[in-house]
Amino acid sequence: MEQFKAWLDAALASTAWDETLIAFLHSTALSQWVVNGQWVWPIAETLHFIGLALLIGIIAPLDARLIGFMPRVPIAALHRLVPWAIGGFALCLATGLIFFVGTPEQYVLNESWWMKILFLAIAGANMLAFETTQRRRADALPAGAPTPPAFKVIGSLSLASWFLVLYWGRMLPFAVGASF
Amino acid sequence: MHELLTTIEASALATFLRESTSVWAYPTVLMLHTVGLALLVGLNAAFDLRLLGIGRGVPLEAIETWFPVMWIGFWLNLVTGVLLFVTDPIRLGTTTVFISKLGIVAAGVVLIPLLQRAVYGAGAGPGQAPRIPPAARAYAVLSLLIWTAAIVTGRLMAYVSEI
Repeated sequence: MEQFKAWLDAALASTAWDETLIAFLHSTALSQWVVNGQWVWPIAETLHFIGLALLIGIIAPLDARLIGFMPRVPIAALHRLVPWAIGGFALCLATGLIFFVGTPEQYVLNESWWMKILFLAIAGANMLAFETTQRRRADALPAGAPTPPAFKVIGSLSLASWFLVLYWGRMLPFAVGASF
Repeated sequence: MHELLTTIEASALATFLRESTSVWAYPTVLMLHTVGLALLVGLNAAFDLRLLGIGRGVPLEAIETWFPVMWIGFWLNLVTGVLLFVTDPIRLGTTTVFISKLGIVAAGVVLIPLLQRAVYGAGAGPGQAPRIPPAARAYAVLSLLIWTAAIVTGRLMAYVSEI
């Protein structure tokens, strides 16, 4: 806690907040564990990829359905697979945090990472918009009925933004500012 | 064998993929390999989960269309996989992890038509309802395990060096 307060004070006082954050994260025990543990990184990466496959494997068909493919599949039924996509996302988030805390300089200073975060935010906001404004209509849509334009827009945006999250994630080691 | 791997490693294609600073060379190949993985393994996993009882309301007859998409993922990864191998054939060709991955992927690919046939029937005419026999459930469990192992060995390839 004291360590955090010292970090916060320094961060507020300094304009180089990124360097302060990097230094702080490096000083944590978690960061040391990630960097020094021989198996932490490979295992976390593997779980990150398993999470990615689950997330995209379930969200992509749902998006395709929203766009208008597989009209015979009720959206509500496809929605029952979504907890597994959320599980996949949780795996990615947890392992992503492990990478980030381990070597924050590889991310904070990397423009690819910022793009990834940007499209993650877009994908998240888009999902929120669907859940709050369209979900009831989606659940009520009978099988075989064409999807309304709003569904098509949200489905396309979701597909595109998740693809770009993957794209910029894969580009992390090659981008400007990368230090892998 | 080693001679062949050396020839591949020195080839113009391998040199280009290794040394080009273009984002369209190695980075794009690697990225497409991940896209293929998401399509092939992701849809496989979603289909397997459906067979195992998650998302029961999803009509089986409407999701046979996932299989061609899985095959797109497979072909994409075969092509990009060959390109990735070509950049580093001596190391990869002599590691157990890579050879295991090939075997595991082959098993997973063999399972795809078995899974499809178990559910939709061999050359079933229209009107034959899809079903989930015990064999299909067994294939689904096996498929989830195999593709997990494929990802594990695939990721580990980045960490092994046996020559």
